[in-house]
Amino acid sequence: MKIKVTISLFAFVTLYLFIIGAAKEDGYGAYQPKAIPFKIPKGWPAPLQNIFAKNKLTQQGFELGKKLFYDTRLSKDSTVSCASCHQPFAAFSSLDHDVSHGIGNQFTTRNAPALMNLAWMNTFHWDGAINHLEVQPLAPLTAPNEMGQTLEGILQFLREDEEYRKMFKAAFGDPNASTERMLKAMAQFTGSLVSSDSKYDRVMNGQDTFSNFEKKGYVHFKTFCGSCHQEPLFTDLTFRNNGFPLNRKKDVGRMAITGLAEDSLKFKVPSLRNVQLSGPYMHDGSIFSVPQVIDFYLTKINRSTQGLDSNLRKPIVLNRLQKNELVYFLYTLTDTSFTKSKRFGPDGPVQFKH
Amino acid sequence: MRIKIKNFLLLIALVVGSTTAMAQSNTGSVSIHFQHWANNQALVLVDSAYKNSFGESYQPTRLKYYVSNIELRQSPSKSKHIPSVYLMDAAAEQDLSLSLQPAIYHTLAFSIGVDSSLNCSGAQSGALDPINGMFWTWNTGYIYFKLEGYSAESAADLQKIEYHIGGYTGLHKANRTVVLPLAQPLQVVAGKSYQINVSVDLDKFWMGKSKTSIVDNALIMSPGLLAAAAADNIPAMFTIGSIQ
Repeated sequence: MKIKVTISLFAFVTLYLFIIGAAKEDGYGAYQPKAIPFKIPKGWPAPLQNIFAKNKLTQQGFELGKKLFYDTRLSKDSTVSCASCHQPFAAFSSLDHDVSHGIGNQFTTRNAPALMNLAWMNTFHWDGAINHLEVQPLAPLTAPNEMGQTLEGILQFLREDEEYRKMFKAAFGDPNASTERMLKAMAQFTGSLVSSDSKYDRVMNGQDTFSNFEKKGYVHFKTFCGSCHQEPLFTDLTFRNNGFPLNRKKDVGRMAITGLAEDSLKFKVPSLRNVQLSGPYMHDGSIFSVPQVIDFYLTKINRSTQGLDSNLRKPIVLNRLQKNELVYFLYTLTDTSFTKSKRFGPDGPVQFKH
Repeated sequence: MRIKIKNFLLLIALVVGSTTAMAQSNTGSVSIHFQHWANNQALVLVDSAYKNSFGESYQPTRLKYYVSNIELRQSPSKSKHIPSVYLMDAAAEQDLSLSLQPAIYHTLAFSIGVDSSLNCSGAQSGALDPINGMFWTWNTGYIYFKLEGYSAESAADLQKIEYHIGGYTGLHKANRTVVLPLAQPLQVVAGKSYQINVSVDLDKFWMGKSKTSIVDNALIMSPGLLAAAAADNIPAMFTIGSIQ
């Protein structure tokens, strides 16, 4: 035990000296990361995975993560960035795309989800295949129909680019990119994407009031939607069968991950925050408007679907006026200070190719 | 100011370093050498073909696996546990080197695979860096054991065989413990070096607790009951050899 402590102390001291020395010699500037706080909005639960406990949120790490997020050069043919399919003006989903385009005009299998409040999530992807925010980017970076690149290719590019060398040095004390440092920087950016300043939030904080329409819509929401789309995140993070039939891609959802028949056609309950901006809807983006999604639950759903979620077994009854009220309420979840945030948006002009 | 701190730290480093060196000479060093075999011959990747338990011929191209939770046991209640994770690659054989306190050790134990918690810990480095090709990017988790090659019996594309064995949840858990009593107790004396040879026999991969034939399953590439069953055969692949 004593030996272990002395060895690790020795390693730590050596590392520290190395870092001090490196600051002088490598020409990439100082390593003086500036810690930035991660604020939990009033009334919200603590994040499930305390992602910034081990991955300390710093200004330099965030900036590096943001640059990586908007950089098409991370893809095999330099045409696709994370932001290509996760566009800030669409609450970091793909504007008006049922599924997204990867390199070489390939289509993905599912609708790109909006990226927000990810620090509160414990699984990612519609089927929950990914279990930690930090490893999430590995999927789109390496999938042949998304960014199609290898980790070796990405790291080589990042290690040869002078700007990235400076930024890796500033964020992590070493100009050389590594898988771990790249992923940690990305998680600092994506984990910081908090949307908590919609009209709904201002009403809850006593800074605004709902219109009569919105107020009635909120009542309908709580009656028919809120048990799965739980406040304040507007998702309970579970996987459910919402009666949506097997699509032409034969996508069985969660079952592909767990191997359990009972998980057939279960998909993650998406957050409804910014739902006005994040269409099309459902896991394959096959419904193009919010009123049509409500229509699905009112009339199109087959309530005898095998495995249908128990919350959906009883009919949802809303007349035309009430349906409109519900839509009005859902649009109070739009947070333009989030979608137009300079902090989260690209620093310079970015081409959204699709 | 910085220079002062630097000098101070240097001093600490020297003191700590010298005591560490003294401490190290109080231990013996033990290396574990994994020797890979197939059909009673030393395994040659790419250029050789072997027959499996079903008489199916195959040409292995890759064999990689994680070794973790290495333990050298002195008695049922006393053992030395090494927390590191090692990635073994039959194409780039490298012995594991351990420092052990002088004592008599009678059993070597280790896991093939890594603990479930390490599958849920976000970005990692070293042996657990996803760049090592032992990580499923589309379905988080480490590949614990990877055997790839070609076989005329394979109905897969390019007649490939790919066994990517992993899984960290419930019945899909695919890490397996190997317990190897040493042929004779190993008495470690300070300052001396020892080598434990461990044989890894590919012949045992195909048939044991479960059956994995190429004609039935040329590809196992995701966690699941199939991978977990294939993992059940892995411990029997490892046997203790001589100690030098």
